[in-house]
Formats: sequence, C-alpha cells, structure tokens
Amino acid sequence: MKTNPLKVIISALCSFGIFLTGCQKPGEKVDYITQVKPILNKHCISCHGGVKMQSNYSLLYREEALSKGKSGKYGIIPGNASGSEFIRRLTLHDPEERMPYQKDPLSEEEIGLLTQWIDQGAEWGTHWAYEQVKKPAVPDADDKWATTDIDRFIRSNARKHGLQPAGRAPDEDLLRRAALDITGIPAPDNLLAAYARTKDFTGYVDQLLALPAYGEKWASMWLDLARYADTKGYERDGRRNIWRYRDWLIRAFNADMPYDRFLTEQLAGDLLPDPTEDQLIATAFHRNTMTNDEGGTNNEEFRTEAVIDRVNTTWETLMSTTFACVQCHSHPYDQFRHEEYFKFMAFFNNSRDEDTYADYPVFRHYDSTQRQKLDALGGWLKEKVSPQQQKELVMFLKTLQPSYNSIVFDGFVNAELADTKWLALRNRSSARLQQVSLSGRNAVILRLSHGVEGTLELRLDDPAGPVVGRLEAKGPSQGWRLAEIPLKKTEGTHDIYAVYRSPALKDPNATGMMFDWLYFTAGLPSGGDVRSRNFTADFWNLLNAGVEQTPVMMENPVDFKRRTRVFERGSWLSPGKEVSPGVPALLGSLKPGQPQNRLGLAQWMTSRENPLVARTMVNRVWEQIFGFGLVETLEDFGSQGAAPVNRELLDYLSYQFMHAYGWSVKKLVRAILVSETYRQDSGVTPEKLQKDPYNRLLVRGPRVRLSAEQIRDQALAVSGALNPKMYGPPVMPYQPEGIWNSPYNSDKWKMSADGQQYRRAVYTFMKRTSPYPSMVTFDGTGRDICLSRRIRTNTPLQALVTLNDSVFVDLSVHLARRALEAGEDPPPGTPQPGAPERYIDIAYKMATGKRISPEKQKALVGLYQKAYNTYRKDPALCRALTAGTDARLAAMVLVANTILNLDEVITKT
Amino acid sequence: MEKILKEAYRRSLEMETRRNFLKGSFMGLGGLALGSLFSCGSAGKAAGPAFDPRNPLAARPPHFAPRARSVIYLHMAGAPSQLELFDYKPDLALLDGKDCPQSFLEGKRFAFIRGVPKMLGSQAKFSRHGQSGAWISNYLPHLSGVADELSFLKAVSTDQFNHAPAQLMMQTGSARLGRPSLGSWVTYGLGSENSDLPAFVVLTSGGQNPDAGKSIWGSGFLPSVYQGVQCRSEGDPVLFIKDPDGINRDLRKASIDAINEINRQEYKEYGDPETLSRISQYEMAYRMQITAPEVFDIHNEPEHIHRMYGTQPGKTSFANNALLARKLVENGVRFVQLYDWGWDMHGTQASESVDTGLMEKCRSIDQATTALILDLKQRGLLDETLIVWGGEFGRTPMAENREGKPNAFKGRDHHAEAFTMWMAGGGIIPGVTYGETDAIGYSAVSGKLNPHDVHATVLHQLGFDHEQFTYEFQGRPFRLTDVAGKVVKEITG
Repeated sequence: MKTNPLKVIISALCSFGIFLTGCQKPGEKVDYITQVKPILNKHCISCHGGVKMQSNYSLLYREEALSKGKSGKYGIIPGNASGSEFIRRLTLHDPEERMPYQKDPLSEEEIGLLTQWIDQGAEWGTHWAYEQVKKPAVPDADDKWATTDIDRFIRSNARKHGLQPAGRAPDEDLLRRAALDITGIPAPDNLLAAYARTKDFTGYVDQLLALPAYGEKWASMWLDLARYADTKGYERDGRRNIWRYRDWLIRAFNADMPYDRFLTEQLAGDLLPDPTEDQLIATAFHRNTMTNDEGGTNNEEFRTEAVIDRVNTTWETLMSTTFACVQCHSHPYDQFRHEEYFKFMAFFNNSRDEDTYADYPVFRHYDSTQRQKLDALGGWLKEKVSPQQQKELVMFLKTLQPSYNSIVFDGFVNAELADTKWLALRNRSSARLQQVSLSGRNAVILRLSHGVEGTLELRLDDPAGPVVGRLEAKGPSQGWRLAEIPLKKTEGTHDIYAVYRSPALKDPNATGMMFDWLYFTAGLPSGGDVRSRNFTADFWNLLNAGVEQTPVMMENPVDFKRRTRVFERGSWLSPGKEVSPGVPALLGSLKPGQPQNRLGLAQWMTSRENPLVARTMVNRVWEQIFGFGLVETLEDFGSQGAAPVNRELLDYLSYQFMHAYGWSVKKLVRAILVSETYRQDSGVTPEKLQKDPYNRLLVRGPRVRLSAEQIRDQALAVSGALNPKMYGPPVMPYQPEGIWNSPYNSDKWKMSADGQQYRRAVYTFMKRTSPYPSMVTFDGTGRDICLSRRIRTNTPLQALVTLNDSVFVDLSVHLARRALEAGEDPPPGTPQPGAPERYIDIAYKMATGKRISPEKQKALVGLYQKAYNTYRKDPALCRALTAGTDARLAAMVLVANTILNLDEVITKT
Repeated sequence: MEKILKEAYRRSLEMETRRNFLKGSFMGLGGLALGSLFSCGSAGKAAGPAFDPRNPLAARPPHFAPRARSVIYLHMAGAPSQLELFDYKPDLALLDGKDCPQSFLEGKRFAFIRGVPKMLGSQAKFSRHGQSGAWISNYLPHLSGVADELSFLKAVSTDQFNHAPAQLMMQTGSARLGRPSLGSWVTYGLGSENSDLPAFVVLTSGGQNPDAGKSIWGSGFLPSVYQGVQCRSEGDPVLFIKDPDGINRDLRKASIDAINEINRQEYKEYGDPETLSRISQYEMAYRMQITAPEVFDIHNEPEHIHRMYGTQPGKTSFANNALLARKLVENGVRFVQLYDWGWDMHGTQASESVDTGLMEKCRSIDQATTALILDLKQRGLLDETLIVWGGEFGRTPMAENREGKPNAFKGRDHHAEAFTMWMAGGGIIPGVTYGETDAIGYSAVSGKLNPHDVHATVLHQLGFDHEQFTYEFQGRPFRLTDVAGKVVKEITG
C-alpha cells in the first residue's frame, strides 16, 4: 500500500502540536475559513474559481457552489453531502470523472471534512482579514511576567506551545535595540547617560521617539512602499525632482501625524478644501510611478500603466491585498470580481498626469518674495473677478493647471508628435484638440517654441473653420517660451484646430513650431490703470519664473474627465463596459455623502470600519521591530496569504491603534517597545530553536540583521562622521566609477562634498535603473514598483561591501581616530594610553554600546599587533590606508573595519 | 571551534534533506511555506521563509535530468534586424521603395512609423551555409562558418514594441516591472556550483547599459540573492572585490579571521544560526576575492585564444565579455548574461542605419560569438552550455518614416510580430530552422513563438518543467512563464 506522505507528516505534526489549529473531532462544527477554504484553494479553485469556471462551475461564491454545473446536477446541497455532486466527484474511481481532474485525489481527512461541512449546512464565511476589527478580550495571562496587554497575548499563545518567555535582555542590548528600532541609529550619549541615572526604560523610549531621527528611520521604510526614486525610470531614466515628498514624510512621522490623516493627504491631499502646499506635496506619493520618456512610446499606454500601479500599490502596501491579479480576471481565491478592479481604478483614472516628459502636473515652489507677490495678486484678483476665476488663476500660477498637454492633439496633417513628447508643426500643417469648452474663455496661454517666423491660427471645428485666435511668431524663440493668444468670444464646446504656416521653412519636413501645453482661461481683468498693469506684469513674471517644481496629483476638472472602462482580459487595448468609481462589494461601499473620488476613497479607507488599513500598518510596524509580521506576508492578508500567528494580538493592536491611540504611530511603537515581549533577551536555546526557529511566538527578543539604511547610518554615527543635516535635495556619497550608464542620458554621479557625503541613507540619490550598489546588496530594490517587505538574505557580496566599499573604509578611519582621541584621557584603573586594549575597548563600545569580553578583546588585540608590526615595517602600506605613517592609527583602522563587520554590529541583538 | 563549524555543516545538511524530502514528496520545487504543514490541512501558513536564507545558493537538483548545466545568453539590446541577418526575403527586395500596402498598417501600432511608409528591401547579401543550409547574410561571415551548430527560431514574436518594456518581457516574461529575470529563476532553481563566484553574472558592452536598466537582471519577488551581479571586464570585476588600498591580503586574512573568531563567540552567547551563516559568508567572500579576479582576468589567456575572439584585454568590449563568459561557465557560474547595446537601427544617422551601421555593429560581435561556440566546443563544454542569442523584438520590413517623413538613412522601426533568435549547445539539436515568416518577413506563418516559449525551452534544457517551477508570492505560485509557454520540441528533441 502506498502511504501518502502528506498524511504521515500531518499526523506527525498533529502529535507535535505546534501551530496547530486543532484536528477535527466528529460532531465539531467545521469552520469554512480555516478548514474548508484552504482545501478549496489548494485543490479546486484554479479550475473552478475566479479565473476559470470549468464545466460552468465555481466554488468561489456560495451561490455558485450551490448551483448546477454543466452536468445538470447541483454541486453542493446544504445538509446533504451524499446527494451533492461535489462530494461524489471527489470519491469516484474513473480518472475522467474523479476530481481534482488528473491530479492526486484528496485525502480521506479532507473529504471527511468537506462532507461534514456540507452536512452541517455548507455555510460560507468571511475571511478574517475582511471582517471589521473587533477588540478581542485580553487573555488572563496569570503570571507575573506580563506587564502589558501585548505580553498577555504573547504569553497565552506561547503557553499553548509549551514555551516560556526569555528573561530581560541586558541593558546594553536593549538600549541599542530600541534606538535602532526607533531612530535607525544608536542613541545619543545624553540619553544613555540619563538612562544610567534613572533606569527608566519607558522614559528612554519617549526621548527616542522625540528625536528627529525617528522620522528619518520610519520615512526610510515608507519610501519602499511609495516606490520613491529621484529618477523617472524606464529607458531614459532622467531625473525627477520629488525629494520634497520624502521631506514631507519625515516631518509627518516626526509630528506624529495621525495615520488616517497621513493616508488621506497622500491619497487625496489635492481634494481637501483649499489644500496647503504640504498637502499637495503629500500627494506625490502616487506621483512616484514611473514615466516613460523613451521615444516612440504611447503616452496613454504608460499613463494607464501608472494608474494601474497606483491601484496595485494602494492595495498591496496600504491594505495588504493582492489586487493586481484582478486586472485580468476575477480574483482566483478571494471574492473580488474583475469589474471591481476597474471600479476601483476609476478613483485614480481622473488625475491630470499623462506620462508627459515634464511630469505635469507639478507644484511650483516660489520663494518668499514671489509668494508675497502671488498673495498680493490673489488679493487684487479677489476685488476684480469672481471667486471661481480668482481661484482658477491662482491655481494656474501654482500648478500650470488645468492645461491641455500637446500630446493629446490628433488629426495630424503634416504634423506629428516630436519624439512622442510634443506637438510639432511644419509648414502648412494642422492638428486637432478635441472638445474644448470655450464658454467664458477669453485667451489661451501656451508654452511653445519656434525656430523661425510663422503664423499659428486656432480655428473652430475644421482646419478651414473660423479663426478664433492668431499668433505671429517673429523669429526663433530660443527654447520654450510662454505666450498668450486672445480668443474670439465663443460659446459651447468645440474642436480646436491648430493651423500653422511658415513660408520661411524651405524644407517641407522641417518643424517650425512646437507646443508643450495650452491653458484656456477667462484671462486677467483688463484695465489700463497702473495697478492693473503692475499686477499683470507680476502675473507674467511669476508664470515665467524658473522655479523648482514637484510632481503632484491633481484631479481633472469636468471638461477633462476621463471615462473608465473595464479592460477585457486586462488589456488597455480592449476597453469594455464603462464603470463608475466604487470599492469591492466584499468590503462594503462608500457612505452616502462621501465624494466618488480619491477623497471619498481615502475616507472609506481610513474609516474605523475598514478591516484592512489599521491591520496592515500594525503588522508593518510589528515587522519593522520584530523582523516578521504577525502575518508574515505583509503583501497579502488574503485567503492565500500566511495565517496570522497571533490574530487576537493583531486585532487588539489594530483596534487600539484606531481607537485608544487615535491613529498615532508613535503610540503604537511605544506600546510595543515598552512591552516585556520586546524587552526579552534575544539568546536562543536549542529547544526554542527547534520549536520556533523563526521566533514567531516571540518567546525571545528579536535578533535581526539591520537594514541597508541602518547599516550605513550606524557606521556613520559610531564613527562620528554622521552629518545630521536633515531634508533637502538628494546627495551622492561615494560610489565606484561607471555605475550610471543609461542610454540617451549623459547624467553623471558626482560625489557630494562638504560633509554632504556623510548624510543618512534616506538622503542618498536613488536612480531606478542603477540604484546605489550597497543598498541593493543589502536587499533594497530599484523602487520601480512598491516593495511590501524586504526579504533578508546573507551573502558574501554583503561582506564585500562592509569590508571593502570605500565608504566603510573611510568610516573605519573616522572610527579609529575617534577611538584614539577618546583614549588619550583614560580614567584611573583602565588600560593606559599606548596599550591597544584601551582603544579597542573604546572602539568596540562605540560600535556596540557594550563592554568587550576578554575573548573578543584578545582576538582584536592579536589583529592589532599583527597590523601594527606590518604597518611599522611598511610605511607605504600605512600611507595608502591613512595618508600618514602612524602605524598605530593604521592598525586601529583595520581593527575598526573589523568591528564594523562583526555580526553583532550589523545585527540588532 | 571545529565543533561549531561541524554543527553548521550538520544544520545545512538537515535543512537540505528536509527541503528535498518535502520537494520530492509532494510539493515540487518552489516557494515552500513550511508553515502550511503545521496544521490539519487548514489555513495555517505561518512559518519560515520559502527558501533557506542561510545557504540560498546551495546547488540543487532540477526536476529531471538536465541537458545543460549553464546558460550564456547573448542579448543584443536595441533589437537587431532579422531582415539583414537571418530572415532571407527576396520578395521584399522587389517591393523596395514602394508604398506599404494599407493591409499591413490597419490596426497596427508602431513606435515611429507614421502614415504610409515605403517598403525596404534587405541591405545584406544572403547565402546558405553548412550541411543545414541555413540562411545567414554577409554581415556575419564568421558565424556562417558554424551554421551547423546553430538552431534558428525564425518566428519569435512579442507584444511589446518599446525597448525597455520589451527587454523586460524577454528577460522576465512580463513587460511589467517586479518579475524575476530568467537568470534569477535559474539561479533560484539550481543554486550555484561555485560559491567563490557570483552565480548569475551580467556583463554589458556597447557603451550603455540596456534600456530597461537593472530590472532585467533583477530578482523581482525572489530574494535579492538571486539577482544578477553586474561584473565588469575592466577595473574591479565584481564591485568591492578588491582589498582597499593599504590593506594587503595577509592583513585582510587576519581581519576576517578575527571577525569570524568574534562571531563564534557571539554564536556561543546568542545561539543564532544566522551567525554561523555569516561566518561562512565571510569565508566565501575571502575566497571570492581570490578567485574572482583570477577568473575575470583575461590577460593570461594564450595568444591564440585572443586571436580567436579578437579580444583586447583592458577594454570593455563584447569580445572580451564573450571570452569571459566562457571562463565563467568553465568555472561553474550558472548563468552568464551578456548585453550588447546599440542595435537600434532606425536610420536617423549613418551609425544607426541597416546598411553601414548594422554591418559595423555585426563586425563587433561576429568573430567573438563564433569563437565562443568553437571554444566551448573544443573544451567539451558546448554540450552542457546553452547559448541563446537574440534581441527584444525585430525590425519592420518598411523603412522608418519618423514623424511621417523619410529618415535620413536606411532604417527600420521596431517590430514585435516576427524576429529571429538562435540557440546553440546545451542539448539543442543543431542545424534546425524552426518557424517561418511570410514573404516579406512581416508576420509568422508557422512555428510562431513568444518569449514564454523561449523561457520554457531554456528551463527544459536545464531540467525544469516550467509549469511546475514556481515560487509562492502574494498568495499564489508564480511561474516564469505565467500561464503560457511551450517547449520548442523541434529543437530540444
């Protein structure tokens, strides 16, 4: 007889008793979610579910499962397993008839469970992650160890597995661990000194939370989710100025902006009433999608790609749900229908961006003088024009919107898009702009360039239609310029034809004029008085000012509205039925009164009834601190994701996060850090290693390799080289030659000077096609798309970075000097100057926060002696390392480099 | 100390045995969530990561007996013109200069062609070569000499006609970002046979990185250890492989010894197996520092080899990379990916024309590509090394008329519907021509393939059933070939 290995393992594990949800006993109620759904997902759904409905039968929704398949028999008859075709098919012998088709049959246990479930009524259930968060009862931990509710949940879960918590971690470990978790760098001396006096760990945690470095650490995490980069991606991968979003994140974390507001501003800051500059910058979250500047690319295709990316990123990073698959077909395992993808996409499909080269729309950052001018101008306009028109003109000065990008022209006659980026007109050419609302529009302001003199006419509804505007270009424009064309008063919506001729163009194929964008406006109030003339001049000065710009989100006004259609089989080239914005039925709906746009979406997401948003953030924060989430798959809470190791705790913290903590991330971090669970020793016993190899049950403290950012930042901090300057444009620390090499892009990495090269990793320039090498080696990515979690690896290439990368060699020199200086004034009873032990002890303490053990000291002293002798005998070698002949310094540099490579240094203990 | 290392070894063996048992018994290769076993057929899928993070590059067996042990993939970035190299179309010459018929244009999308372009006959002279009688043009005189080693796929197609997305499609099976590259999948599946060298090496030439950047050798959702390591034929071959100035080998050895000694102390204190793994990674790094510069140094190759490839040590060139590729697979590197940039012959300037520009470009790879095949063969390595050659799409039989006006030189636009790739070695039947395009080389008429089929075929030669070769991500098993792909039996036998 053939033994089913699965059965053997399962029975073995059942007796083992780890992670068990309990084996079924006769008469017990079978649970759909934990017992039935996994079997269906594993064996049935791929043919009878969201993607395929073989024989017209699906097991995804209850009404489908209870219906008749192609055979004409009812699949599942509740209460009557023996009469259900579903069960009969599982037990047949004919391989053509027996299910799963051409696969191994289900085990007896599995069939037994399904039978019992149908006999009990075949009730469906909702997967835990889609049910509203309720506050679970805190278990009675019944012991002295637990001091917080978190501990009570952990204790009660651990007890089920027969495991005891570990003791308290030594102070040095705990203080370093907390500082790295909260701020990403070791704690400043004054905080450590305060702790030494008070032994108040909670107070220490509070002080760390108040440090500005906290925002830098947590923003670093968020940048992976936001797929933040300083370039646009794809082939050309040109620069993008979007660092102010990164700075917004740091400030928002530091100000402990409530998470509901934090999300709302990023998703829909532009739709808030009278949005502030900060609220607009926040929306750059979803402007971090890539822009394709490759010649010959269809802008609508890559606009659509960006919108799809926004949908997928919103679900994956903010709601831990795999939604991307629903683009092509209904969700294979969870109850999301194909159409619902596009209803959701409709929220994002009406933003003004269109894959333009300049990343429009942008926010224009005026300096303080310009801002004063703008305010004064706004005040004057308030007197002169309607509030609506005033608002429009001010918004235009701030964002150049709403404008028509020239890439939306069509109907080309002798005209084309140059490099598929700008409308280019030749002699006797025309192109069409469809359906422009002209009522109340007196002028067009446009960005154009021209190489020769020529005439542009705007004609109504036909290339030979009535002229409504005319521009005479006199000679070359020397690059882009802005111009205004007065418009004849016209009512209604019309096609506008741009008709161009230039007898000066001898070559019929030569381009005479190019457009970037056109803005139809009611215009400035006319008036010949000095004040009007001055304000008009200010308007144009502001508009022409070469100011820094940040891409932001902006909703299309009515005239620009796009329709959203279902893409058949996910292809944008096969648009189907039109849909309006909405959320998947499984997760409720927008409330009456909530707008059907991104703001309404944000309100729905940040409602306390949304089951996913709080859980996702709590899980993420937990993962940052303990190395694994309470649900390991940060990217997917769905029925195919990992099951929570401690769902009650996840729900408890999520509930607290929304209610007791008022969405405060700092309070959440604090609650976790002051728990006994967090404060445990991270040493592991063989028993625990065997029963819980990945520390999922938290019966020991976290011990996790630091992130790429933490490894860099810690080395900067302990060597004393760290430049604590915050904010501003990205910087370029040392990078080997020849890393950047994008086609059609001569941009070069130019190492920053004046201490800028010693800034924290969060400020390092991020080029998508060539990310900073050491970041990638330590599991970072190019941020092409969002990354929900970095999977930690352990490779020899990582060792090469911390051993040989000039950054780490340079910081080793700093650390060595710092230790030597500090060692010149030893307290009594410690090794005296000259003794290497003295400096080694100090350097080790600086790097780890700990006193060195005699064995470790011996290893480093041995290394020091060997190095010292070598460098003394070989001054050239010494000079190569330190630019001097001090063998003591050179030996110490090697020791410092060694220390920066220790497991205990690159690991949080 | 020895005890600790023994323990580390025992652990890795245990881990291997358990993994293999699980794989072999019922799960197949792929992302294995151990937690799914820890329950009575219920939803629990909680435990450890899906690969062994402590020894992620350990050599692993494939599904069935492989024919190839390693792959050298020669990607001509920019997309070479099949109509000038392999796809001989005499009828197209007859149409040269005539307006393209509407029927070819209706419902089609092009990158640069607008309006009605003219047809463009091949600029090359074609003849048949070898026993197999394969058509190869006068642009590739060396390669013509090894025609019988090659197997042609004449009707490969894709659904992308811009470089970056098409390169992603060709290398990751998806035009979308975030999928692992072919090389990453192979490395994930087979591990490495030489821990002293990176398992998946990427070499670039042609002056620029490929258009899609590092994503096309990225590991996507696979752990980052499986991403390609871009190496260089000048300077440090692997980033940070060289000891810093002022730290000699002897001192580096002493420093790594000290690191590992202290890490052993640390292991005694905390008992974290990750620490043991770190010890072995540092030992590996030290060995890599010795091995990699040796393997990557082509100076020591004999003169006749340099003549054979046309290599000039110290320069960055396709020829140097081809020779390096041979050295790397000889030394157990699993996957060597060469990108040669500059095949995008639009006809906007002479160097980008399908006459002089393309001929010049071919000259820079022809001899070295041929040498690679012959050199592998004379070393008995061709049988176990699969060579794949191709671009990311093909070129149009029409002359490009960018922005609706004729281009200054003879050039062709991007074309997704039919282009030629070839494979050699690695158990591929030599001398086969599979697939055929219509009279002007515009569309496939038989044997139409897509990138998934190419991937399925590569995986097949390495011993993988592409439908069973999966990684669990976002709640479902992902495949390189997604829901498509069929092995080209006509060339695999």
